[in-house]
Formats: sequence, structure tokens, C-alpha cells
Amino acid sequence: MPGNCSIRAIWILNNLDTIVFSRKFPVVEKRWRVACKSENENSVEGGLNYTVFPSLPTDSELVAAFVERRKREGSIRGFGIRVTQSTEGSDSWVDDPITRHIIGLYLNKEEEGDNNLLWPLILLVKGQYCILALPLVEPRHLKAYARLCKRSDCGNAIGVDESLSSLLLDLPSITGAFMVSQAIGDIITGDMVEPEVVVSAAPSVGGLLDSLTGSIGISGISSRAKPVAAPVASSTPSGTAAAGTVTLDAPKTGTRPLDRDALRSFITSSMPFGTPLDLSYSNIFSMKINGFSASDLPPTDLKQPAWKPYLYKGKQRLLFTIHEIVHAAMYDRDEIPDSMSISGQINCRAELEGLPDVSFPLTGFNTDRVEVLSFHPCAQVPEHGLDKQSVMFSPPLGNFVLMRYQAICGIGPPIKGFYQLSMVSIDKGAFLFKLRLMEGYKSPLTMEFCTVTMPFPRRRVVSFDGTPSIGTVSITEHSVEWKIILSGRGLTGKSVEATFPGTVRFAPWKIQRLPSNSAFGGILDEDSDNESDGSNNMVNIEEFLMDKMSKDLPSVDLEEPFCWQAYSYAKVSFKIAGASLSGMLIDPKSVSVYPAVKAPVDFSTQVASGEYILWNTLGRCPSAAVAIV
Amino acid sequence: MTDKPHPQPPPPLKPLSPQDWELLIDDFQYGGVRRQKWTSALAIFPFIVDQALSSLLKRDFPLKLSLILFLEEFSNTLLGSADPDCQPHENSLHRLIETVRVVLQTPIDGVHVTFALREQMMVSVTSIVISLDTGLGQVHMRWVESLVELLLTVINRPNYGSDRQARAVACECLRELELAYPCLLSDIAGHLWSLCQNERTHASQSYILLFTSVIHNIVAQKMNVSVLNTSVPLVPFIVPQILLGDSNSGKEGSGGLNYKELRRAMAFLLEWPQVLTPCAMVEFLAMIMPLAVALDLQASMLKVQFFGMIYSYDPMLCHVVLTMYSKFLDAFDGQEGEIARRLILVSRETQHFLVFRLLALHWLLGFCELVLRRDAGKMKPIVETCLHIYPSVFDPLALKALNLDLLAFCSICVSESRLGEDAGNAKEMVMLFKDGLVSVSAFKWLPVWSSETAVAFRTFHRFLIGASSHSDFDPSTTRSIMDSTIFRTLQGMLVDVMLECHRLVPVMVAFTDRLLGCQKHIWLGERLLQTFDEHLLLKVKMGYKLVSYFPIFDRIAENDTIPPRGLLELLGKFMVFLVDKHGPDTGLKSWSHGSKVLAICRTLLMHHNSSRLFLRLSQLLAYTCLYFPDLEIRDNARIYLRMLICVPGKKLRDILNHGEQLLGILPSSHSSSFFSVQSPRSSHNVKKSRNISSYVYLERVIPLLVKQSWSLSLPSLGVGSNKPDYLEGIRDSEPVVEEREIDSSSTIQIIPETARIDQPHEPLRVMDSKISEILGTLRRHFSCIPDFRHMTGLKVRISCSLRFESEPFNRIWGDGTPVSGLDEVDALPALYATVLKFSSSAPYGSIPSYHIPFLLGEPSRNKDISGQQVSLEIVPLENGSEEDDRFRAPVIIELEPHEPTPGMVHIFIETNTENGQIIHGQLRSITVGIEDMFLKAIVPSDIEEDAIPEYYSDLFSALWEACGTSCNTGRETFPLEGGKGIAAISGTQSVKLLEITALSLVRAIERYLAPFVVSVIGEPLVTLVKDGEIIRDIIWKDVASDSSLDVTSTVTNFDRGPLQLTYTGDVGERESLASISRRNLGCFLVLIFLPPRFHLLFQMEVSDLSTLVRIRTDHWPCLAYIDDYLEALFLA
Repeated sequence: MPGNCSIRAIWILNNLDTIVFSRKFPVVEKRWRVACKSENENSVEGGLNYTVFPSLPTDSELVAAFVERRKREGSIRGFGIRVTQSTEGSDSWVDDPITRHIIGLYLNKEEEGDNNLLWPLILLVKGQYCILALPLVEPRHLKAYARLCKRSDCGNAIGVDESLSSLLLDLPSITGAFMVSQAIGDIITGDMVEPEVVVSAAPSVGGLLDSLTGSIGISGISSRAKPVAAPVASSTPSGTAAAGTVTLDAPKTGTRPLDRDALRSFITSSMPFGTPLDLSYSNIFSMKINGFSASDLPPTDLKQPAWKPYLYKGKQRLLFTIHEIVHAAMYDRDEIPDSMSISGQINCRAELEGLPDVSFPLTGFNTDRVEVLSFHPCAQVPEHGLDKQSVMFSPPLGNFVLMRYQAICGIGPPIKGFYQLSMVSIDKGAFLFKLRLMEGYKSPLTMEFCTVTMPFPRRRVVSFDGTPSIGTVSITEHSVEWKIILSGRGLTGKSVEATFPGTVRFAPWKIQRLPSNSAFGGILDEDSDNESDGSNNMVNIEEFLMDKMSKDLPSVDLEEPFCWQAYSYAKVSFKIAGASLSGMLIDPKSVSVYPAVKAPVDFSTQVASGEYILWNTLGRCPSAAVAIV
Repeated sequence: MTDKPHPQPPPPLKPLSPQDWELLIDDFQYGGVRRQKWTSALAIFPFIVDQALSSLLKRDFPLKLSLILFLEEFSNTLLGSADPDCQPHENSLHRLIETVRVVLQTPIDGVHVTFALREQMMVSVTSIVISLDTGLGQVHMRWVESLVELLLTVINRPNYGSDRQARAVACECLRELELAYPCLLSDIAGHLWSLCQNERTHASQSYILLFTSVIHNIVAQKMNVSVLNTSVPLVPFIVPQILLGDSNSGKEGSGGLNYKELRRAMAFLLEWPQVLTPCAMVEFLAMIMPLAVALDLQASMLKVQFFGMIYSYDPMLCHVVLTMYSKFLDAFDGQEGEIARRLILVSRETQHFLVFRLLALHWLLGFCELVLRRDAGKMKPIVETCLHIYPSVFDPLALKALNLDLLAFCSICVSESRLGEDAGNAKEMVMLFKDGLVSVSAFKWLPVWSSETAVAFRTFHRFLIGASSHSDFDPSTTRSIMDSTIFRTLQGMLVDVMLECHRLVPVMVAFTDRLLGCQKHIWLGERLLQTFDEHLLLKVKMGYKLVSYFPIFDRIAENDTIPPRGLLELLGKFMVFLVDKHGPDTGLKSWSHGSKVLAICRTLLMHHNSSRLFLRLSQLLAYTCLYFPDLEIRDNARIYLRMLICVPGKKLRDILNHGEQLLGILPSSHSSSFFSVQSPRSSHNVKKSRNISSYVYLERVIPLLVKQSWSLSLPSLGVGSNKPDYLEGIRDSEPVVEEREIDSSSTIQIIPETARIDQPHEPLRVMDSKISEILGTLRRHFSCIPDFRHMTGLKVRISCSLRFESEPFNRIWGDGTPVSGLDEVDALPALYATVLKFSSSAPYGSIPSYHIPFLLGEPSRNKDISGQQVSLEIVPLENGSEEDDRFRAPVIIELEPHEPTPGMVHIFIETNTENGQIIHGQLRSITVGIEDMFLKAIVPSDIEEDAIPEYYSDLFSALWEACGTSCNTGRETFPLEGGKGIAAISGTQSVKLLEITALSLVRAIERYLAPFVVSVIGEPLVTLVKDGEIIRDIIWKDVASDSSLDVTSTVTNFDRGPLQLTYTGDVGERESLASISRRNLGCFLVLIFLPPRFHLLFQMEVSDLSTLVRIRTDHWPCLAYIDDYLEALFLA
């Protein structure tokens, strides 16, 4: 069954290597067995090697295999790319970072010999839990992966047959399993936050439940109390049924850190037989809680979409919020241009009765600034993408992200300037900020606050000296924080210059020896380093210190963009309201609803900083070539 | 979750409490021992199922949902018995379906019967029914039938208000059943369609999916059924005949598809995709796509309707479009650029989880492969789209790595497809590479273990091997890669990087190792090393930091495609530098650096022809031995120099290859790394060593007379605490005082014999002079016998020879290279430093191992006979003795028997082949016979040479006397050498008649027993023997001349004993003996000493046609072997 997406089993482990939840789907497993049987019957080549495929492990077998892999691969996720410690047959031998997310386990089963590879297991680390989901693939895919990770050559070339890429392209079930594990991850950590929609009057508007329950106090799914049954003979009028209560898992409820029941009922509804049908937990939980009554009538002429099990009733309105996050790398150097990018999204909440279509023109989309446009599945995107520059959608209930985009800044960076830090001695640094805020920003744009932080993760800050031209300064153990604009005193319609010269003093430098250097550690023999040319090095304290400090830097996970600790920088955080920086805009007057209905439209914008970094102009900095799209 | 034992399961007949259920479920999930605890008693399964089902129907049972799920997940264990028709299985299924029926019919009260329970029951029971089906049995279909009927009643109420979710679930159950039994619902497709049209609640998705799957199966199975026909009633449901009967009965329905109706159904289905959730859309399209193909639908229709999904931010919808592309390549023709652009943009969407951004890039790469395979020309729009997409600063490293992969792929495409003119091309590729690398350029100064370094070198690898896949067999690409600009750029860059930051040298070594370890790309690694040799060596700065480049120098030295000149020059300069800079505070440094240089020299010696190295290396070494400040380095250099000059190249390499550590090179941090590289070669191979005894032989020089060997096994033969009685004669002399003295003094204390005789417990008795004379002789004799318990005992030496066959040896241990040398002997394999170790279960003491420095293999005989290489040297060998000494090594096995007994000696060989392989193995055991124990008696040192025959003769008569049955010496004890132990004699006698002519007897004696003959008596015999001149230096006697040893008188004397009465029975024997003696030729007296302190005496009375051997010994067990021995000796 290629093209569809089923899951054989799900396991959730906690950080003590104990399985706290597991669920197996016998129907999918049956399909796997049938597929294996026919594969074994049909395969001529390698019949010897692949006659048996592992059946699902028990909890204890899985844990053992998981622990063994972690030992072999250095960490829960593994090396990801081939390093000297990688062994043939392990995931990192494949030399692809995605093997940190799609892993294989070798089950320790004597009777099955070498064919004990369990792949692909989707690994999601969420909080203290590891979620493992095993999607159904065809036996030939498993074989292909086994070949990939056992080939003895120097590593696959790109663009040749039988690469991991073509496997992944062939297997939507892996993508589906990622979606499933993300949904489950959100549930077990309680991260079920709906996209934020801001209204000018109230700070934010709640989620789907609000639209169902009105505003009777249930604010969001995450804070919802468990459906613990009412005490004996309370609310149920039918006295016959009041003999007992459904106290779920009574004896252990208190000690369990994981809401197994919520999880179980989510899985039952979203993927009853292991094939996901709907992963929207807000829909599933509201159906669980509210159920349906005979009075919930379906629309007369249309089919009600599965993603909208309830129809809205009440006062109608439309809310839009544009959220933008600004990432910037400010270098203030001739050879490296500053880079700034905005990732934005339009959140929406449509409180409209029936099943109407909403459409509005995308103002700002016609510029070259917007790079990416992706839409909610409810948006009707024509075959060739959006060429009419208007978007039409049939809104679901509750808050949802209508559209996402990447853009470059239309106005210019909100904070411009430079940061210089120079070490005058081993324990003392002199720094200088010269910043210009909101240059060229016109009236509706308001900077709500702005803070600059200088982190020193590897040094302990003892004291600082110096006064900024504006704002206040405070220090923590490992950082200096400069609040330029305090929240509550927003900056509107004018530009401000802020300078801050000063010195910072650190506790004496201590060499931090790493317990183990992961990839290439221990090879170097540095015994003779600073004797012959040591005197030259001492000329420049800065360089000397740099060298010293970079020697014992830890290696970062592949999920990080670079080794943050290797650089000195200042990070800016701010919030701007009033308009989007990309120029994205929704004109409330041009929003139309079909069938026509009178509904007020509210529109707001929020811009916040993401990684907004001022690199030390006098130090090293990471950079990248500019992509030309 | 530990394996700690839980309380025993409750006895089966007691109902399980909710707590018991929880424990049971946990144990089942955990598996292993904890599950076995339950499953070991198979009989309890029906009980568990029974209990579970009745608990489900109880009003107040709290664990209903978990219990259903438990039944579902373990249905195979609990319900699936081996025999599907057996009673419990049937019963359980029946009860299961009845339970659903009850649950479905009980009104919902929101507490005990909830929607959740209903839904879960439907799902789980469906799941159980499907997964329990082992084969399509009629019986099983009955359950399916009743389940379907139940579910159909649920879904047959479209638009009904409150149970819409239950209807949706029931639809899903039916869909799973339809999936498991294709065409199960085909007869009622018409009903399903109308239900599907009617349903308008959110459950319509499930109706649509159900109907789609029915249509899908009808088309897939090519069923001729009407999907409009509603004549068959929905309920009662009857399973279609095709599913029940055998396969050919179903064929009648497959007359052909009803295209018109099916197209109508399809058109209906395509009206409603917007009501589906993304997950359902994936399901839906997976079914629709094959339908569209089968029904000849315009694929462009699908494209128009579904291609827009690629703009969704839901990854599953994007993926579905890609799947569609691969299905309908033609319809999607021309969209390649758009798809590529879209995928790139997805990868740049920072709102996505990282894994989806990674997936998008993987899809793109996989998509490119797909397009390439189909039509390389279509790559152009893709490549143009992807060409300048560089990773951005804040992209996670994982994404950067994949993005760089994409760039590498593009650069390959550009270079292969020759888009644009060549020169610009190359420039562009280099630019791509350099620009892409900016994002991880920090690898140049970050520590070597940083992730940036790993990513950067991974990218180098990708760019370097380019399009040359491992399955590729086209050598032209090899050439083109070598010549490509990117390759040259990369090489140059790697050199620069190394010059700039010597920290990266180990990483570079690992990088080249990765290429060198790959069969396909070994040449790339070699090329890199060549580049380093050409460019790096010239540019490195002389100084102490040069040492950090040594790992890469070592790799260069290992590679024999690189002329060692440059490296040797550099090392020479470095040595000069070291000598120049040497001062009081650089002692250790000079030593360490010097030894590292020598380690590289050694690597060179190991991998290059000496002629290539000779000039420069000898200069370098000579300089080092003359001027280097450190003594040890000078010494080592001298050794290398000597070896370089004296040992021929091949042998030298073998020697170096083999004994790295033995050569006394101080293991430096570098050398240890390449020691480990070579260890696999010299590791010993157990498998190969297994059959070693079939071609390596250790053989006795003199074969044993008694071929089949056996040895008398007596309990506790050892000299342990409980000594057997025949050994009792040897014991420590009692006086404690004396012993203490001996212990305390380091010098050997000599105790006067007289003193010893006067020991307190020494029995006092009257002795006649003859007896005292005998005693004197014996005392003297025994005092010469070493006491093996306190000193080295007497040794028995067995000569053997070791040889091995060349041909089978080469087959197993050879390195596969055909030997083409002109010199036959040089081509033969050899064993080096062979050590033979011996062990035996017989009491032979510890047997010293034997060492053979060198042994050449025997040339195979076939080869010589076939005449292929009849060298002049071989021919005479053939004619002469086969046993050429060159191919045999003499081996002496030295035993120190604690008891004269035959036995086996096991042989273990440990040796080395020429190429350094270690052979361990066991050879065939050597048999030790009783004759190996035969030694000449020890002659006291004060006996003169010419008095020896006399001494032996005296000794013989004394022992003969002492071993007699009734002898006065029986209670005497005799101290052994060293005086610590004393021995007593307890004699035994035996007789053997040999039917053999006198002549052959004499021959045999001359051949085998000559050394042990002490006397020949009787004139005829003396004349017979004396002429042979083999038996010499003994006492020759006429019968008359010596009365005391007169044969007849001796016989009578000994038979009777001095104080014995003559039995009448004895007379006959004596007379017959006498009659033989009448034709007597004479008599041999043979004295054999058996280590450690025993004796074997023969008196052979030789007649013309037979010989009577009288045997006396003080070690009776040996008689067991003597019989066989004598027979083999004389009668064989």
C-alpha cells in the first residue's frame, strides 16, 4: 500500500529509559507480516539474508535496543554524520543528519540472527520524553536501508540510485509518522497552544473551545481539567446508571507524570487502526468533551468538512493578526553584508456561521520582498500558486495560521549600529555600543521595548563600568543586560541614538577541560606548542585569549546553527507594534465573505525579534554567502 | 520496570480485580520473563478472555478502555491458538462479537456506556477479527459477516444527530475490513454510495473514504458489479461468493469493469476533497491514483485539482503531490522547476520543525534522482532553481549540511550536462563550493571535534567524489574527476588549510583514510596524498611544529605510489634542525621528535623498495647515528641503517611488518596509531589454523615396535599423598633430625653409608657374605639414581623431526600472489620462530618446549613429477633420499618419567608465516612406547672404564637376586642420590617362551637391545654373537667357567630359593626346562634401567628353535607392556 501512511507502533520513553506508554496496531502489523511473507516468497536475490524480519519487540526488548544504540551512537540522537567512532551498520554510518530523527534499532533476538534491524523509527525528543513511532514501510525499503547502513565504502555520492533521499521521497508514511509524533509530543508536554490572535481591545483571544463554550471560564485546552467523572449520583439524572463512577486508572493516577488517558483517547480517535485520520487535537478533544446532540444539525446543502465538526453560532466577526519575527546578523564590516530576514505568519480567527468562503487581497505580496508563501490546507490555492494575489479560504473553527511567509525587511533594520568588545587584559574587556533605533520608521510603528544582552557563557562577570546614553544596565553571572527602551515607554515615530561605552571585568580565566571530545578528540599532541613562538603570541592578548578559549570549546548539536560559545556578540530583543516590517498588510475593507454576511474585521500586527545579533566587530563571526533566489 | 519477581498470578478461577488486570497488562507489555509468567500456563488464556469480556459488560468496571486495548494488542497471544478451529478460539470470537452487540444496543448513559466505549469496542473487535484470521476459512467468515452486519446497522442512519462520531468510526471499521478482505462490501456498493451522498455531517469524510476503498477494490480486482445497484439488501449482510469459494468461482464476476458507472462514482468522489483532513487526503489520494490510472482518467484533471496542495504548509500534503508526480510523470511534465522551487522554499521556512526542513531537502534530492533517471534534460530548470541557494547563518548545522549536499549535486549536474560554456562552468562550480563553504568556515579555527569541522569535511567528501557512485563502472569519470577544476581547487584548499592550521592534520588523515578505505575511491585518496607530497612538503615551515604534520607524513610514507624523495629530504632537514637546536632544555623533545622521525623512516622501509630509499635514507640514518644527541635514537638509527644495508628488501619488509614492538622502537603517540592499522594482518586466524595437522607433521625418527599403543591405567598413579603400593618402596627417609639438617643447610649433606645402614628402624638380621655383597652392589647402584622428587630426574629423549608440505600450506596461508621466482627454494614457504609445546597425561613431568628458528616447506611432489620446473637442483633430490634435511627440523622431546609407562605426548605448535600471520594449532600426538623408557643403568663415577662390564654383570646378578620372589633383600631399603629418598625392591618375575630361531633372535637383540646386554653365556652363543661385533664390551662366559652363574644351577637355585622345599609339581617344569637347556646354545643377560629407578632384567635362554625369556623386574606394571614388546621384537 504505497502512498498511504500507517503506523505499526508507538512507544514513549522517559528519561529513565522506562517505557511509559506504548501502543501497537495489530491491523497494521498484520499488513506488515503479509508483506514480509510475500517479499520472502518473491525475492530471489539475497533470499538468504533477508528471510526474516523482526516482529514488534516487547517493551523490554525495545528499551534494551534503544539503550544499546545510544551507547553506540554517543547520544540519544546519535552523531548524525559519519565520524571516526561511527561503526558500519549504525545510523551515523549513513552520514546523513536526518538519521538523528529517523533511527534504526537492532533488536537483540537470538532466533532471528542478523535480521534484527527495526527501521524506520521516528525519534522525537520532547521534554523529558522520547517518542518513537514506527511507520509501516515495505520490506524492500527496510532492505534498502540495511544495505545503505552496511555498505563498506566511503559514503554515498549524491544523486545516485538507492540513496536515503529517494527512500524518503518514496515513503510518505515517514512524514506522516513525524506529524503523529509531533501531535503526541504536544499532548504529553501539554504544549497545545493555539496560534495567537490579538485584538486591539483584549490581549488575546482563546482557542476553539471558547468559540464553542462562549466565555464561561474554560480558557484553553492545556489548562482544561481532566474529565474526571462527577461523584456518585450527582449530575446524571438517570438514577439507574449511578452505581459507580468512571474513575480512570484509579490507583496510580496521582503518581503518573503522563496523562495516559488523554493520549489513549487521542490515539483512538485520531488513528483508530494506526492510520491517522485527523491530528487536530483541538477538534478531537472538543468532540470528546462536548459530543454531539440531536440538535446539531448538518448544513442543508453542503457536506460539513471533517476538520470542522462544529459550526459556529453567535455574533460574527473576523480577526487577523500578522506576526513577524525578525532575524538579523549585523556585522558592520565591509566584507560581510548585514543580513536580515523576517519570518511572518497571518493568524486568523473567523467567527462566522455556516460554511462561508473568505477572501482578501494580499497587499505587499506584489513586492519582491516576500519569498515564501505557504498556506493552511483550508486555503484554496490554484494549480499555479497564487497569481491573482488574493487568497480565498474556508475557515475552520478557532485560531489558525492562515499563511506563512519569509520576507526581507521593507524599511531597514529597526536597530542599526555596532558592538565592539576588545580585551584589554585577560580578565578585562572594553566595549562600545553605538546603535540607532527605528531609523526611518514612521508613526504607527511603535517599539514597545528594546533590550541588548551581552552573553559571556564561559566567563563569570564580576563587574562593569560605564553609563549608557539611554536606558539602564544590569548584570547577571554570565551576561550584561542593557535595557534601552523599557516596556511601557514605547518609542513611536522618531528615531533614537543610543551609545554605551564601558568596561567589563571577569573572574580569572579557568581552563575548562572537557570530559570527552566527541568526534576527533584526543588525537592532538600539543606538548610543544607555545614554546617556540609563544613570545609572538603574547603581543596580542586578544588573539592569545581567543586561542586559549577556542581550544576547549564543546561541539554543538547539529540542531544548532553554529557553536555560539565561540563568538562574542550582543543579542537584541524588541517588540514592535503598529505595522509589519515586511509590508504585509490586510485591508479590512477589502475582506469579503461569501455568502455575504455583515461581520466586522479586526486586523493587528506584532513584530518581535528572533535571533537579532550584533556581532563583535573586532572578533570572529559566523557568516554565510547570500542566497540568490 | 525491573525484572523483579511479582507476586504469583492469582489462581485461575478467582476473578481478577482491577489491580490484577493492571499488573497483567503491564507484564504483557513488558515482555520477557514477566510475560512468560502468565503465558507459561496456556490453559489460563480462555479464562483471561472470558474474564475480560464479562468485565467489559459490568456496569462499574473501571478499566474498560484499557482492557479492550489489551485484548486488541495481544489478541494473537490470547485468542489465536495454534488450531483455528478449536473450541476456545471459536467461543471467544463469538462472545466478543456478542459483547459488541450488547454494547451497541445498550443506550448511552454517559457514565457506564459512553460513546468512547462504543467506539473503542467497534475498533478493537474489528481489529481482533482481522488480525486473528490465519486463512480464509468459512468459519471465520461467519464472524466477519455478523460483525459487518452490526457495523452496517450503525452507519445506516445518515445525518442522525448525536452518534455521528460513532458512524464515522463504524465506517472506518468497515473500511479496515474491506482492506483486509478486498471486495467484501462490493455487493452493497450501491447502498454505500447513497449513504455517502446523504451524509452531511463531519462524518461524511469516513463515508467518502469507505466508498472510495470499495470502488478501489472493485477496480483493483476487476469485478463486474454495478455500483448503482441497490437490489441486494444492506442487512442481513452476506459475504460475497468470491471471498468464500476458491479463486476460480470468483472469475465469473470479473467479466470486465463497468466503466461508465465507475467513472460516475469517481466524478462524485472528486467533488469532495475539500472536506477531507490532510491525513484523510493522503489516504484518499493513495486510493484515487490507481483508480485514475485504471479508469483512464485524465491525469491533468488530478493535477488541476490537487497540485495546489504543494503550497500548503502541511508536509503531508506536499509529499502527496510529490507522490502524484512520480505516478503521473507526463501530466506533471514541466512542473519540475516549480516543484524544486517550492521544496527549497519549504526548507527555508523557519516556522517548520527542523525535521520537515530536512525532509524537504531530501525530497528535493530524491526528486532530482527521479527526474535524472527519467530524462536528464529536465534537470535544467531544477538546477537553475537550486544553483545559488546557500545556507543562511542561522540555519541549523544539519540543514547546512544537507544544503551543501544540494550544492554539490548541482555542481555535478552543471559539470556533467555542460550547461553553458566550459570555462565559465568550472568557475561557477568553484564559486558554488567556496560560497557554500562560508557557512561552516569556522572549522578552520574551531577545535577539531567541532560539529562545523565534521560538516565541512563531509562536504569536501561530497564535492570530491562527485558523481562517481560506488556502483559505477565507468573509468572515464575517474579521469574526469581528476582533471576537474573542483578537484584541483579542493586539493589546493586542503593543502592551504593544513598549512594554516596544523590542528586539522588528524582530521585530514581521517579524511584520506576514509577514501583509502573505499575500494572505489582509493585512487582519490592516493591522489590527495600525492598532492600533499608535492605541495605541502615544500611549504611547511621548519620548526618544532613540523611534528604535527607527522600523521599525514606517515600516510604519505605508507603509499608506494609516492616517491619518498621529498619526504626524506624534509625529514633530513628536520633532523639537522633538531640537532642544531638541541640544548640543555630540549632533551626530551629531541628524543621524542627523533623517535617520531625514525618511526616514519620505518614506515618508509616497510612500504617502499629499498633501492628507492637507499641513498637518502642511508644519509639520513647515518647523519642521525653520528650526530643525534640522544643515545637511543642513535642506536635505533644504527639498527635501521644496518638493516637497510644488510637485509634484502623483501625480507626486510617482512621482518618490519612482523615484529614492530620487538624492534625496540619506543612507541610514540604516532606510531601507536599505525601499529593498530597493521594489527589485523598479523592477527592469528583460528579458522585457518584448524586443520594444521593435515600438512604439518611431527614424526618419530625411530618408529615404535609396538604399533598400537595402550597404557595401563591405574588409579592414582601420581606421586601424590596416597602412593600406590608398588611405589611405596621410594619414600623419604624417616629421621626427622636429619631432614631438618638438610633443609637448613644450603650445601648438600653427605651422609656416610654406614650411618645410613645403622638407622634405628633398619632391621637387624644375619646376612651371609653373598647377600651382603649383593646389598653392597645395590646400595652403590641406587645411590647413583637421582631422586626426581628433589632434583632433576633422569631424562628420556625421543628424537623426532618436523616437516610440512608446501602446497597445502600455501593454499591456506599464502597471500595469494603466485610465486614466480626463479629460485625454487626461495619460492617455498617457510615457518619462522616455531615453538613446539608438549603436554601429556602420562607421568612424564614437565616437558620443555622446543624452538625451531626456521623451517622450509617440503616442495610438493606432484609439481616435481609433472616436470614443469625440473630444475637441476631438484632432480638429485628425487633420486636420493626423499628426506632432505633442509625440509626437516630435528626435534628432541625430553621426558622426565616419574614412572616407566607408555603414553601419548600432545603437541601444540605456534609459529609464524613469512607474511607475519601467526599460526596456532595442534599437531598429531606422538606415541611414547615402553622401549623409549629403556636406559642403560648409571655407572658410578668411580668405576674405571674397563671395569664397567664387570660392574654391569655384578649389578645384574645382584638385581636378579633382589627381584627374586623370596629374597633376603626384600626388606632392605636403599638410599637414592642426595640421600633424601630411599627405595626398596619388591620384585616380580615372569616367563615368556618365544618360538623363534636362534639366529633371528640374535639379529633382533643386536638391533634393538644391544646396549643393554651385560653378558652372553654359553660358548655356542658367544661364538654366534661375538663375530657380529655389535655387542661389545660385555662379559663373555663359557658355561663352565663360572659356577655361580651357571645357567642350570641358576635356574634351579632361583626356582627353589635358598631355603625352599622342592615341590613335586615343579619337577616336571624343571625337567622340561632342563631338556631345553640341553639343546641350549647359551644365554643373554639383559639389564635395562627404567627411569626413574626401576629395572627390567631378561635372562634369555637361547635354543635352536625357541628361546625362553625369564623376566624379572622391580616394577610389576611394566610386565604388561613387555609381553607385547617382546612379541613385536622377535615374532613380527
